[in-house]
Amino acid sequence: MRRFASSLVLLSMCAAGAVASAAVPADCWSLRKHGHRQEAQACFDGLMRGGDAYARAEGFWGLEEWEQANEQFRLATQPANSKAVYKVRWGMLLHERFNNPQAADLFRETLAKEPSNGEAYLGLAIVSADGFDGKATEYAAKAIELDPKLSGAHELMANLALENDDRDLAIAEADKALALDKDAMDAMAVHAAVELIADRSPDPWFAKIAAINLGYGEAYARVGHQLEMHYRYEDAVTYYRRAVKADPRLWAAHSALGIDLMRMGKEDEPRAELELSYNNGYRDAATVNSLRLLDSYKNFKTFRDETTILKLKKTEADLLQPYMQAELHTIIVTYEKKYRMKLPAPVQLEVYPDHEDFAVRTMGMPGLGALGVTFGEVVAMDSPSARKPGDFNWGATLWHEMSHVYILTATNHRVPRWFTEGLAVHEEGEHSQEWSDRVTPEVLIAIREKKLLPLAALDRGFVYPEYPSQVVVSYFQGGSICDFVKAKWGEEKLLEMVHSYAQSKTTAQVVQQDLGLALEEFDKQYLAWIDKKYGGEAAHFDEWREKLKALVVASQQKQYDKVLAQGPAVLAMYPEYVGDANVYELMAEADRVNGDAKAEAAALTAYEHEGGQDPAVLKRLATLEEGAGRQAEAAATLARLNYIYPVKNEELHRRLGDLLYGKKQYDGAIREYVAVVASSPVDKAGAEFHLAQAYLAAGQKDKAQESVLAALEVAPGYRPAQKMLLELNQSPEK
Amino acid sequence: MRYAGQLGLRLRIVILSAVVAVTVQGRAAVYYVVVAGLGGEPDYEQRFTAAAKDLDKVFKAADNTAHVFTLTGAQATTSQLKETLSAVARDAKADDAFVLILIGHGSFDGVEYKFNLVGPDVTAGEIAAMCDRIPSRRQLVVDTTSASGGAIPALERPGRAVIAATKSGTEKNATVFARYWVEALQDPAADTDKSDSISAMEAFAYATTKTAAFYDSQKRLATEHAVFDDVGHGEPVRASGNGQGALMSSFTLLRLGTSQQAANDPAKKGLLAKKEELEQKIDTLKYQKAAMDPADYKTQLTAALLELAKVQEGLDK
Repeated sequence: MRRFASSLVLLSMCAAGAVASAAVPADCWSLRKHGHRQEAQACFDGLMRGGDAYARAEGFWGLEEWEQANEQFRLATQPANSKAVYKVRWGMLLHERFNNPQAADLFRETLAKEPSNGEAYLGLAIVSADGFDGKATEYAAKAIELDPKLSGAHELMANLALENDDRDLAIAEADKALALDKDAMDAMAVHAAVELIADRSPDPWFAKIAAINLGYGEAYARVGHQLEMHYRYEDAVTYYRRAVKADPRLWAAHSALGIDLMRMGKEDEPRAELELSYNNGYRDAATVNSLRLLDSYKNFKTFRDETTILKLKKTEADLLQPYMQAELHTIIVTYEKKYRMKLPAPVQLEVYPDHEDFAVRTMGMPGLGALGVTFGEVVAMDSPSARKPGDFNWGATLWHEMSHVYILTATNHRVPRWFTEGLAVHEEGEHSQEWSDRVTPEVLIAIREKKLLPLAALDRGFVYPEYPSQVVVSYFQGGSICDFVKAKWGEEKLLEMVHSYAQSKTTAQVVQQDLGLALEEFDKQYLAWIDKKYGGEAAHFDEWREKLKALVVASQQKQYDKVLAQGPAVLAMYPEYVGDANVYELMAEADRVNGDAKAEAAALTAYEHEGGQDPAVLKRLATLEEGAGRQAEAAATLARLNYIYPVKNEELHRRLGDLLYGKKQYDGAIREYVAVVASSPVDKAGAEFHLAQAYLAAGQKDKAQESVLAALEVAPGYRPAQKMLLELNQSPEK
Repeated sequence: MRYAGQLGLRLRIVILSAVVAVTVQGRAAVYYVVVAGLGGEPDYEQRFTAAAKDLDKVFKAADNTAHVFTLTGAQATTSQLKETLSAVARDAKADDAFVLILIGHGSFDGVEYKFNLVGPDVTAGEIAAMCDRIPSRRQLVVDTTSASGGAIPALERPGRAVIAATKSGTEKNATVFARYWVEALQDPAADTDKSDSISAMEAFAYATTKTAAFYDSQKRLATEHAVFDDVGHGEPVRASGNGQGALMSSFTLLRLGTSQQAANDPAKKGLLAKKEELEQKIDTLKYQKAAMDPADYKTQLTAALLELAKVQEGLDK
């Protein structure tokens, strides 16, 4: 949500670019900025009627005649000697009209011609900030370096700093902007947001803004955006409402309000706001896609009980509902006990089989946004069917997101990003060691290259990553910091930290109060702990990689003795690695070729316990376990797959159902056979019959009768089912 | 395999008539010819051969009177294929069923389909001509190769069902359909109507479902869309309807059990007639389901199914 007032950014340059006319663009924009709407309209109208293409472009822009403005900018920039400012302003128009790629091209073209153009750098910074690109700060700094009087660059820096929760820097940059331009209302909005985030009154700053322009809704909208960035979704709604009240024509704020309300699980009001925005020409990707998502809700089925609301796509609702609802209940019981609190309202879980639908829910949010996202008591996540089998563990994701629900509630949404993310990662590992965040190659490289961030700056790694894998590394770091706190001070300390954050304390205060350390000392101790744990692996990472490559080649050349001889040593160098071409699978393959089922099972069991998630590999392990008469282990292995890829996996449910049935665990068998039926199996009659058998064994004769009739409806001549029907209807109890 | 609605009812009657005909005339023979074409690469070579051998095993195990001819590796040449099909043409009777399954790579140049074999390839027209010489009135040609959709126009003929792994000659990537076609004949779950046999339609439905699931689970765009034609002319289809599917539904590809033997006992003719009557009643009920009161439907269906189960119990004694 950065487009509230981009037309006002770079305003200072307009005067420089103006030509003789009834008015100059800067005057018109200044009138607009100061709330003199009618006068501004007249001013833009005058520009539009002028003889200069650039001035006409600004005039049309001010009158919201986007196409004509675009065309006039095209004309204005055609001469080879046209002023650089024209392209920069054109870029800003395109940015405002949702075309960042072409806007960035225009800024770059300007810089190619005039490398010292600060305004073009600011344009690049604005566009980068839209995509949470770590280069935004770099570009803004360059803009300031080239043009120290560019107040808009300082305002942007202030906003970026606050998004990174660096409040001191945000204030400092906002003050610099105000020193350059006493009417820098966006800088004032940053001040107001800082006050609100710290639970102080923002009113003095809003009074200053109102004194300049009573109808400057952008200020409230910018505050709303910062509140969202700090997980304060309900508070954000309040400020988006104030934004549209101050300026009812601020369509970007209507859209933001709609999206924020959607994040709170609402549908009707968001639709109205988004449609209002859309119908008035504000058709950015977030608005359009959110409306499409609202339309698609008719294809979802909602399951409600006392503590949960589950929203699933109809096509997979019957299959996933039993697993997801049960898991939600387990999580709620666990976290209620752990965090000693109850949620004030049912938690809503939305599961999207189409990743694009899920992506709509994370638009405008920083970070990966790849697996799940939490907005207060609303959790949205990918369905396992949205991803390639083995890429995603919905169980771990749900435990992660639900941790956010509790921590956001417990802290009244006063929690830094690193802590809620770190604790959520930590909770995944607490629930299952196999789900703990793996030290992936990119993490090892970050450790080796000393790229872990100081705790005070860790939020930045989530919001504005400076290198491609920094978000992943930051998740790992946040999680391992919580692991470290537990290891050194005990799990109870984490709860104390939650309570301290709830009192709006800063990270420095929390660490000092609860752990008795200054931040610098904490960083020192944590890094020493990490180094002890992973320093060796990180130091020998390149050697490991080379040895793994050699092992892969040996396997490809069917030199299985070599694989088995050298595998253990390579494994010992980096046992957490369960990605592509891992040693566990290479050794298991060699064992399989050698006909050593026991060794193959041992290798795959180790893979499983390290968190390996390839469904085919785990199914193979279950087969080996079953073959060795270890039915319980086989069932446990298949049960793990229910968290990884329970969809389109009829075979999994049938096998697990059979194993559980064989062990007389009829409730589990029923759950699995229900899943087979819900998987639209080729053999519908067989699926219903197995379910009937399980119901019968569990003493649920009525349900057995229903299922056996369903089997016979498909295949009336199905003899085992016929026999059961006769048995059920001859029974004296029937 | 059943149709939904009225068509299903008609088909049921057709199938039952076919069963009665077989009972009267005795069991016809089935001629299976399976060909694993040129792989080109060791991986494909191994895969095609393994699939062909699996089918050979399945057909022989299911019916020791079946005539099974399997060509793999160096044997898979055009001349060997011609020789084999000539032998079938010589031995098979009109009542015998004939099944030809092609596994491997195919090509289509916009006009002509070719099945890749060791040595010269064989065209769809040549295959059709060889099959035309076989007197069997009921024929099934399953072409599981890439571009196999391009073979359909040449192979179509009344009394011959043609299945292709791809909807046209332009789907040229290597296919996975063959894998699931073989699996359909090994997995009892493919017998969806629990008739102790797998029809060509059941195998087709199984293989297409599993093929689609394969691409879906790999998050890959499907590069093959299997089709069939069993009316002998026109465009191939992907699902039953408008006359398509009747032949394949009644074409028993593989018998799994001995149910037919019980039905051959003249002493049980009365029960058989009753069974047929009940099966028709159930089909009618299912057809009327949408228009019926759910409770009434359930009551009537339960009663009919119960009665059918009792009749079957009598037949099994």
